[in-house]
Amino acid sequence: MGSLVVFLVAFPTLTGGLLLGVRNGNARNAIVVLAGLVIVAASIVTAATYGNGAAVFFDLPGGLSLGQALLAVQIAIAAFVVVVGIRYRRVFAPVLVLGQLAISVYLEVSGKLPEPEAGRLFWFDQLTMIMVLIVGIVGTLICVNSLGYMRGFHRSSPMIKGRRTVFFALLFVFLGSMFGLVVSNYLPLMEVFWEITTLCSFLLIGYTRTDETVGYAFDALNLNMIGGLGFSGAIYLLAGQPNGLDLARITAGPASAAVMPAIALLCVAGLTKAAQMPFSRWLLGAMYAPSPTSALLHSSTMVKAGVFLLLRLSPAIAGSNLGTLVAFNGMLTFLFVSFVAVTEQNTKKVLAYSTIGSLGLIVGCAGLGTPELIWVGVMIIIFHALAKGLLFLVVGTIQNRFYTKDMENFDALLSRLPRVAVLALVGVSGMFTAPFGVVVAKWTAIRAFLGMPGAEGAVLLVIMAFGSSLTIFYWGKLLIKVLAMRPVSDYERTIERRVSRFEWFSEALLALGVVIATLGLGVLSERVVGPYALTTFPSASQSFLHVDPVVLLTMLVALLFLPVMAFWAGRHERYEMTDFYAAGRPVAAGGMVGMALGGSRKVSLRNYYLEGVVDGRLAFRSGTAVCACLLVTLVAVGVVGR
Amino acid sequence: MSFFSKSPWILHYDASSCNGCDIEVLACLTPLYDVERFGVVNTGNPKHADILLITGSVNERNVEIIENLYRQMPEPKVVVAVGACACSGGIFARAYNIQGGIDRVLPVDVYVPGCAARPESIIDGVVKGIGALEQKRKKSA
Amino acid sequence: MNPIAYAALFVLLAPLFGGLLAGIDRIASARMQSRVGPPLLQPFYDLGKLLQKDARQVNPIVEPLLLGHAGFMAATGAMLLGGTDLIFVAFVFALASLFLVLAAGSVNSPYSFAGAERELIVMLASEPFFILMLAAVCKVTGASSYQGVLGSTVMVAPQLPAVLLAFAFVATIKLRKSPFDISTSHHAHQELVSGLTSDMSGRLLAYVQVAHWYESAILAALLVLFFNWSVPLGLGVFAIVYAAEVLVDNSTSRAKWQLVLRSTWVVTLLLVGGNVLALFLLK
Repeated sequence: MGSLVVFLVAFPTLTGGLLLGVRNGNARNAIVVLAGLVIVAASIVTAATYGNGAAVFFDLPGGLSLGQALLAVQIAIAAFVVVVGIRYRRVFAPVLVLGQLAISVYLEVSGKLPEPEAGRLFWFDQLTMIMVLIVGIVGTLICVNSLGYMRGFHRSSPMIKGRRTVFFALLFVFLGSMFGLVVSNYLPLMEVFWEITTLCSFLLIGYTRTDETVGYAFDALNLNMIGGLGFSGAIYLLAGQPNGLDLARITAGPASAAVMPAIALLCVAGLTKAAQMPFSRWLLGAMYAPSPTSALLHSSTMVKAGVFLLLRLSPAIAGSNLGTLVAFNGMLTFLFVSFVAVTEQNTKKVLAYSTIGSLGLIVGCAGLGTPELIWVGVMIIIFHALAKGLLFLVVGTIQNRFYTKDMENFDALLSRLPRVAVLALVGVSGMFTAPFGVVVAKWTAIRAFLGMPGAEGAVLLVIMAFGSSLTIFYWGKLLIKVLAMRPVSDYERTIERRVSRFEWFSEALLALGVVIATLGLGVLSERVVGPYALTTFPSASQSFLHVDPVVLLTMLVALLFLPVMAFWAGRHERYEMTDFYAAGRPVAAGGMVGMALGGSRKVSLRNYYLEGVVDGRLAFRSGTAVCACLLVTLVAVGVVGR
Repeated sequence: MSFFSKSPWILHYDASSCNGCDIEVLACLTPLYDVERFGVVNTGNPKHADILLITGSVNERNVEIIENLYRQMPEPKVVVAVGACACSGGIFARAYNIQGGIDRVLPVDVYVPGCAARPESIIDGVVKGIGALEQKRKKSA
Repeated sequence: MNPIAYAALFVLLAPLFGGLLAGIDRIASARMQSRVGPPLLQPFYDLGKLLQKDARQVNPIVEPLLLGHAGFMAATGAMLLGGTDLIFVAFVFALASLFLVLAAGSVNSPYSFAGAERELIVMLASEPFFILMLAAVCKVTGASSYQGVLGSTVMVAPQLPAVLLAFAFVATIKLRKSPFDISTSHHAHQELVSGLTSDMSGRLLAYVQVAHWYESAILAALLVLFFNWSVPLGLGVFAIVYAAEVLVDNSTSRAKWQLVLRSTWVVTLLLVGGNVLALFLLK
């Protein structure tokens, strides 16, 4: 097992290093595809080796000394951030990273940093297995997609200097460090990987090096470094505790008062990485990065690291005030960003808000910590990674074809890009119309809230009900745009042919993944996610594991209905077609309608964004403010230790 | 069994009428005459309608609209021309912009004379239109 | 009786129920307007006629989506009476309504599209209520299925009076009654008011009608949940509520969408949220 894990971490990292030297496009394509295959295979083999049994703990093969290696990496990271900070004249990030480094140096030099207990460097259980598979499979598919996407991206933006060697290298380094993050049990080890992912995110967001994106990249860096500092602070506090740096041990049950403050700081780290309010800002800025970055880092994998940590912490915080506060932070984030999403016109931003919302739900589940809610959280992770990853990739493909992110320009997708539209429909169905993953999760969450005592349950129910309705609204708008059909010119029909093989392949596979996950929901629930939930929170009742066959059937039908209908409709035009009603006026080609006093105008349809009723900016700001207060309380409560 | 006689839906269009006939058409919907008793509904939408009730002599601007409305109505459909103007152009027949009656533009099935046509005549005309609808349906069935 | 039998009965009988209800609705409205009104079975005649008309299609995806709409609406009712988890049913209900939105929205007509958007707003307004209402019923009775609630010894209505009031308020939306009929209206109209159904003809319109009848039946079934100790009483209350709806429909004019959204949310938050909070605090 140890060697497999080392391979998972090392191989992508080394591939990344290799890619730095490869300038030839074809060679790069080949290396990426081959390396991707290896990574997928390795992920599957690792998962199979683990075999879904009890949790496994192990060391590096050969037992290398870790402390100094970790410190070396941290120094490198700090140096890099300082250099970059100087270059772009930003102070905040260097200060934070130096603070982090100071803590690490102090601990190492003063000898206060305990070595990991023998055989407990790494931790592998069902959750790890799920994360490994997600990172390996979804991550690889996104890398493959980038091969096609980046070609189109640079073609449409010739003023941006291409640094694709760096881009792809970063993607692979990132995959390596994600693997490292999810298997770590020794907190300082996890922290290093955590920091590397932050750095990768920073570099990838700032890929185009325009002033704007540099600003956003630093936003991401700053906010994530706050979390990183919290992580370091937690390590500092835990260094003095027995078994303090063994994640599995400190989260085995409710946290003791001694450990609480550190756990609170770790929660903060998780919240920043998962872009929860008040830290959501960085994820929105990250939308200016190329779409595969958005898919990989900011929906399928990196932000999952944040909720992954929170899920790990769940047994430690469940039932305590800290846990409840964390849960409310998550749920309120969900509510507020759903409000904002309704007013947003930029499709990628809508997807970003939706991501933050889904992560908020997971955070809510982690904070409350019951077997059902853990089940919900893990299910959301799985389905969200697949469906949202797919959606970002599809939006990227569309963007490259239409040169726009404005949802108003995505209309009649079914007519203009029929096959892409089918894939988009699978993605959206996966997120929402199918009472699928996310909705099944919401349903179970509601059930769990029903079981909670006191006012909390009521408030959470209300938040869930309103938030959920808001998601229907913005997904509905997107769906309408995708499904609209109108006559298309011959030229328009040719646009879809320019979608690259890499994009088709990766997006189709992800769509297939969504379908398979739905089909296998019962198996997934009873064999993998359920046992994980029950080991974390033992419970007598196991009814939530079993998925009612009626439910499963409905979900499958609902999932497949739209894409299948869309596919069929795109091919059959056997009805008596007629114009749409335009107050009796005939509709000329191109949607032009004659006006009453002469002349003609094109019919232009625009979504409602609820102006006048919902103010998006106000919603975002108030959410940030409310959650900031909540966060302060959270830390205070943690520090006080109850 | 044909349901058209039980549920004839009307699209009412004013093709440059003086509104006299239109008011009479609307009067049919009022409690005094209440055509809803017969299942008649005044839909404003060609796609929902069976009977196109047109008043007014047609002018140039109207032609394409009338044709479009007629085209959008699904089969089977009938046209009922209400009032003297719709039948032949009425007193406006010689005006420069008037086409002179609906039958210059559409195939009319029922002509309802009068200026303004009385509600009783209109209802009578609609009933005849329903008969024409039934015949068309039988032909196409 | 076997839950599957209930589900099958619903699928078969609900359209009859809905159609008769629609017929009574039209007669009542007419009488309120000093008219005689159509025969009781008029809605069925209308349906028959629509099925005999040609369907003019604006694009090929409208028909499958409308079949989905009607199908999922029937499925919602079937699952409701068939014993599926109530909260899941709420989500399927929302999904069924969504298909209508998608069908209308896929047409490039300004009226159809506007109708679809306004229907989304109306769904946004009413969805929180249905989720919370069903959650509250489950909490009160401790049951999770329709039969479970009916068989429970706990009487729902006295525990959830505010929710019952809110139900009457929100039902106006689902029944497409003024002042909340902003996306499409029973009273035949043109353009914006016709909204969702602007570009549907023939059998497409028939699907929408049938789906709406299923929806009426589902609403009746939901109201009966409140009176779980006596189904006849529940149906009686539904009749009263429906009569009130017809009265309100005839007396009010259409509200602006902002008012619909705000008022429904305020009602949901205060009445339902308050009732649910009280429920949690007192349990």
